[in-house]
Amino acid sequence: MIRLQNIEKVYRTDTVETLALNSVSLDIAKGEFLSIMGPSGCGKSTLLNIMGLLDAPSKGQIRIDDQKTEGMNDKQLAAFRNKKLGFIFQSYHLINDLQVLDNVELPLLYRDTTAKQRRELAAEALEKVGLANRLKHFPTQLSGGQRQRVAIARAIVGKPEIILADEPTGNLDSAMGNEIMEILLNLNRNDGTTIVMVTHDENMAHKTHRLVRLFDGAQVQ
Amino acid sequence: MFKHLFKLIWNKKKQNFLLITEMLVSFLVLFAVFTLMMYYYNNYKKPMGFDYQDVWVINYNNSYQTKNVDSLNLYYETLRKTIKSLPHIKEITFVSGNIPFSSRTNESGLTFRGKHVQHLNNFTVEDYYQKVMNVTLLEGRWFDKEDVVGKNKSIIIDAALKEATFGKEPAVGKLLGNDDDKNKFKVVGVIQTIKKNGDYLNPGPGMYFRTDTGSFRWLDKILVKVDHGADAAFEGKLYKTMANDMKNANIEIEHLASKRTDANYFALVPMIILAIVSTFLVINVALGLFGVLWYNINKRRGEIGLRRAIGATGGAVSAQLVSESMILATLALIIGTFFAAQFPLLNVFDLPAIVYIEGILISVLFVYLLVLICSLYPGKQAAAIYPAVALHEE
Repeated sequence: MIRLQNIEKVYRTDTVETLALNSVSLDIAKGEFLSIMGPSGCGKSTLLNIMGLLDAPSKGQIRIDDQKTEGMNDKQLAAFRNKKLGFIFQSYHLINDLQVLDNVELPLLYRDTTAKQRRELAAEALEKVGLANRLKHFPTQLSGGQRQRVAIARAIVGKPEIILADEPTGNLDSAMGNEIMEILLNLNRNDGTTIVMVTHDENMAHKTHRLVRLFDGAQVQ
Repeated sequence: MFKHLFKLIWNKKKQNFLLITEMLVSFLVLFAVFTLMMYYYNNYKKPMGFDYQDVWVINYNNSYQTKNVDSLNLYYETLRKTIKSLPHIKEITFVSGNIPFSSRTNESGLTFRGKHVQHLNNFTVEDYYQKVMNVTLLEGRWFDKEDVVGKNKSIIIDAALKEATFGKEPAVGKLLGNDDDKNKFKVVGVIQTIKKNGDYLNPGPGMYFRTDTGSFRWLDKILVKVDHGADAAFEGKLYKTMANDMKNANIEIEHLASKRTDANYFALVPMIILAIVSTFLVINVALGLFGVLWYNINKRRGEIGLRRAIGATGGAVSAQLVSESMILATLALIIGTFFAAQFPLLNVFDLPAIVYIEGILISVLFVYLLVLICSLYPGKQAAAIYPAVALHEE
């Protein structure tokens, strides 16, 4: 599903050159739930951003669903992300001025869908994460766990084949973290969604199919 | 997408209130400026109605006083002949004090066929006035000796008064006067409205009465049409001639062309002051808008990063921010237009409705253009935000 070949990422400033990823190669199968672990600054999020086409590698190739992503222009990348990928972030990234339902609808705004379709799909996604009774709430009226569930609903509303989750339980207590993890596992199990999750939590990582460890930008496991 | 943006703006109404107020205030000031400008421009486009070039004004205080009308007329007719006999003089006429481009007015009102005409200029003129001023006759004729006799006194009206009283009907031969007056005037001619207040101001309607035998008692101006060769030396000679004839009188000679320039400057002063004030205001508003939009982008970097991650192109992000500004401008303009529309509806300041409508349209376009220009660059900057960086910062 996702094939990374010899990915390198170098951040350059006027005086310093930092190697964030050093020749990382990874194959992720369709329907796989992969977790990435490693100490802070080892390049986990950079790798996830590169997989999510939010950042470009300095070297190497990325193929997603057998499609080469190099050479795609801004419009093609945006359309690709919109249709194939769903993102979950540690800090949720919800828009506080929009109600829960409107937040979940967001990815569909960049597709050719009617308002009615968007509403129905968003309500369906929220039902899936157990928030059918919070449609008209604003994010600030929700708990951290509920916010992350809204973010998951937003990630799955467009029915993407891949979900990229950057420390989805990082801001939550263990009970809420387990709830979120359960939702992700269900998505993987029931819908066959491929999930790549960055985490610091060994327990969460061990619930996934495979664990990849990074250290100083290199893959060590 | 429009509904989504509207919802976003509505849910942030507290933050947007000041921005809308700023746009509303600038619209109202621009409306005042553009309405005034359109009023001036519409007046400027109208024909002058007479020829002010090579027309000099001789102001005198009426020194010759006698109860005998014949002696009075003889005195002034002799003066006319003396002046007319001078070289460079083409024609001469005695007139009432409210000549074009002077600050003096002689106004009255008229209720005709139930309609009331306000600020109606009354001019007392001689038969020679038309030749001196070269007024444009639209209907009928100018005064002549026929007007001495007749049941009703003759009157000449201008196009503005004709429009206000007779509308599209021909006016010549009809009687004009207050509805309750027994003695009405007979309209013998219609002339182009002369722009007595200069190029930029509306002169208002006017009616012209023929001088009678006693008019010389109070007339205090002479208009002379001179040829192109009339210079300062001739002006001196004319002054001496007048001074010799009118002992102890104060005499002053002016040129209508210079008086027109002065009248125009006088009319333009408020316009210039308002334009300067509004220019500073517009610059302030532009900088304010630019700053607020720039600040919003920095405050919304996380949202911009998210939108990019979930499928928005750089162009879509830029378009969203510009559209949000335009929606805010539209809200401000709807409120502003509601207030501005009261001016023509309530006939405030007695200006034609079209002037207000033009003022509203130009102000609306200007505000949209200003907002568009101020939001384009911040929008472009937003489009350039790198999603991975913006999401990480959050």
